[in-house]
Amino acid sequence: MSSEPIERRVSYLGDRLRATCCQICGKEYFEIRDYCGNCGRKSFGKMVSTDLFYEMGKLEACTLVNEPTNKFTKLGNYIYGVISFHDGKVRVPGRLTDRIIKDSDEIDFSALEERNVVPRFRRRYSVDKSDVIPTISLAFTFADEYYPYQAYTICKPVKEYDSPGIVGYGVYTSKFRIREANIERSVPFIDEDSISAAVEAGKLALTHSGIASSDVGKIYVGSESNPYAVKPIASKVAQVLKLGEEEEDVQSVDAVDTEFACKAATSMFKDAASLVNYEKSHIKNAIVIGSDNSQAAPRDCPGGELDLFVGYGAAAFIFGKHDVIAEIEGWYSCTSDTPDFWRRDGEHHPMHGGRFTGDPAYFKHVRKAAKKLMERLGLQPSDVNYFVAHQPNAQFPVRVAKELGFKEDQYMPSLQVVKFGNTYSGASPLGLAAILDVAKPNERILVSSYGSGAGSDAYSFVTTSQILDKRQRQKMTVRYQAQNPFIEYVDYATYRRLKMGM
Amino acid sequence: MPIRPAIVAVGRTKFGEHYEKEPEKLIEEAWLKASMEAGVERRDLEACYLSDYFLPITNKLGLEEGFLSELTELHVPMEVTRSFSSALSNACNAIQSGKHSIVLVGGIEKMTDRWDKIRDDLMLLEDPWSYYAGCTPEANHELMLRAYIKKHGVEGDDLQKFNLALAHISVKNHLHATKNEYAQYQRKITVEQVLNARKEARKPLGLYDYAPVSDGAAILILVNEQVAENFASKPVYILGAASATDYLSYPAREDLTHFIVTELAMKKALKTAGIGLWDMGIVELYDQSTVMEMISLEDLGFCQRGKAWTTVYESCRDYRGYYEIDGKKLFVNMNGGLKADGNPLGATGGAQIFELVKQLRGEAGERQVKFEKEPVYGCALELEGFGTKGYVYILGRNKT
Repeated sequence: MSSEPIERRVSYLGDRLRATCCQICGKEYFEIRDYCGNCGRKSFGKMVSTDLFYEMGKLEACTLVNEPTNKFTKLGNYIYGVISFHDGKVRVPGRLTDRIIKDSDEIDFSALEERNVVPRFRRRYSVDKSDVIPTISLAFTFADEYYPYQAYTICKPVKEYDSPGIVGYGVYTSKFRIREANIERSVPFIDEDSISAAVEAGKLALTHSGIASSDVGKIYVGSESNPYAVKPIASKVAQVLKLGEEEEDVQSVDAVDTEFACKAATSMFKDAASLVNYEKSHIKNAIVIGSDNSQAAPRDCPGGELDLFVGYGAAAFIFGKHDVIAEIEGWYSCTSDTPDFWRRDGEHHPMHGGRFTGDPAYFKHVRKAAKKLMERLGLQPSDVNYFVAHQPNAQFPVRVAKELGFKEDQYMPSLQVVKFGNTYSGASPLGLAAILDVAKPNERILVSSYGSGAGSDAYSFVTTSQILDKRQRQKMTVRYQAQNPFIEYVDYATYRRLKMGM
Repeated sequence: MPIRPAIVAVGRTKFGEHYEKEPEKLIEEAWLKASMEAGVERRDLEACYLSDYFLPITNKLGLEEGFLSELTELHVPMEVTRSFSSALSNACNAIQSGKHSIVLVGGIEKMTDRWDKIRDDLMLLEDPWSYYAGCTPEANHELMLRAYIKKHGVEGDDLQKFNLALAHISVKNHLHATKNEYAQYQRKITVEQVLNARKEARKPLGLYDYAPVSDGAAILILVNEQVAENFASKPVYILGAASATDYLSYPAREDLTHFIVTELAMKKALKTAGIGLWDMGIVELYDQSTVMEMISLEDLGFCQRGKAWTTVYESCRDYRGYYEIDGKKLFVNMNGGLKADGNPLGATGGAQIFELVKQLRGEAGERQVKFEKEPVYGCALELEGFGTKGYVYILGRNKT
């Protein structure tokens, strides 16, 4: 039933909540207008386009939808209402997302109205499995709950560095968690997937970096849970976040998805860094996102052992040479053909080659990459302030850190798997982000990622003084998300339902 | 108006679920009633103006005109629009321009055939952006209610009365429908039922606040006033007709607490008719929900903004068959309104005109209104979408 031209238009306008403002009279419109209704022909050429996606709105009036239209039934009960931006100058319809409303809940609408909301990029509604997945940002959450509003302010760069490095980063995990055994794991809301997490993390990274989205020339998205077998996540992120110069509704940005199990994103750190360091590329910044709605078969099925560990989340890093917060000091990668974990095309869930997991796979590669990099840079474990390893569970990264000679205060701060679960491509990036949240200037961070199949990328970063300057632009820190009072815990059945999505 | 279009006959089917009848059967049934009433033969018709909101979707019927041509063996001009009022508007233009002197205006809808998908269709056609955001056909009514009570500061005891007043609207419309043999729901309901349904729904409006999904057809025969008396002893004249249009998307409009289209269309229609608001004794308005009936009373000008609910509340405490507004009587939705008479979209406007014609002629049987003064005028308000289009027709027994 999906019609391509209409779908293109709806996502083009709705994913970014494009609005237009008349520069003559100030009247604003949702969608793109060439003319102002008040000013007529003289307004031609004077209509300025904005993305409400970066703004904060207000819920003006709302009601409960408990008998949704057919395509929305999987959302269950939800709050629907009118959202205004810019003091009521422009209004849009909107659904409040990230809320599980039980059939017995009594809603006090006046307690919800007049509160500030933030637009969220989500799946629009259910479609057939073979259809294009429709998305929209007419989904909102309260700014005073899990996801705070953070203004996106573009700052003029003040310093150019010799080596490329990270200029901004962002981590996104959902507000839902399941708590089992000794770990908590993030659970996507039903309208979330690896695409929406990638967009959210990218948005947070842009906000944190303070660079103009038009100055991003390349985007890499690494994931092993792209809901499409063929269709990049990166193109969606590029369009929603308006990366590169926009001309005739095309973004002048190179976008590509990468895949190598859990190291799909970390592998591209060096590519992004090299690219921005190569003058003739004319690329000032490149963004790398690792995003996964980590897949696992249900617990009682083959491959179901993973179901105890999988999480949901994404981490994004922008590489550049201006206003760097952590310079790249060096890297080392290694690869071997090891069948420890795979998912065949057309299968929903990955499989584990039990005897290959652990020593011949994770430990061998992670240890090798970290060791080789330290050798290359002439580093001793004591020269490293923080060690970040891929974290499929809590035991592996601790063991490998100890084997490499690191102490608890070096490896524990990055150990986030107990809070968010294994976020696959986002796992070691999430650990790195947790360190960037707390690191002081001139500290060394050693990262050693792991991707089944198998390989590892090790990087050494050294923080700069600007890490402190930019910190105020990051409200969604890893700790904030891990210890948020608005976290909602769900039971196993709800977790499976939410994870399967719309 | 230079030439007044005159309605010489009306006909309709019962509204409700007609799963056993093809759409053509419904329109045939309405046509037979109207044609016999006026003694009009199908070959007298110079053109047909038809309406259906979404027969192509519900019944996979495109080119409805062709079906009607097969049915009638007529090869005259035929046009299809969305609402009965828009069909009537085109018919009026044709009569007034002198192009045609006898035309048929007919509306048909068969929504129950697509019971499982109809709310998606309704919402998507009403406003795609709202649909994409998760809106339902009901949600906008509830948002309008929320916006209204906030703007007018209705709270505490007043809010309770306000909610009761809305419940009374539904009870009143069901009461009226008990005397309407064509109505979908010819049964009384109680205030408790309305309130309980809201409680069950856990939101401002419940099942009994909303008009149903219906099948049905309605027809009228419209002629040039000069020939009107050849067909009817009591023709009813269309003295004022006006429409207005607003944004598709309800949230994008300037004021969320009322419909500008109703206000504009009514003002224009009154001006054309050359009569005053209170020359009107009877109104058929578009109560897709109880809140819509209440707000329409304000938009049409009968009640002050923010005050209609007090009028309804006071009038319904001891309901005598009409709303009492500043000592004046206003008969509203005597056929039971959309709530109880039914709401087969393309035919709904036809049932409204049907009711006005019967009442103005004094042929409404048990539900006949006793007007206190002559001449008497009535008006009908029909909306398309959620206030995207508004049509007002002012009808009178006299030419002026």
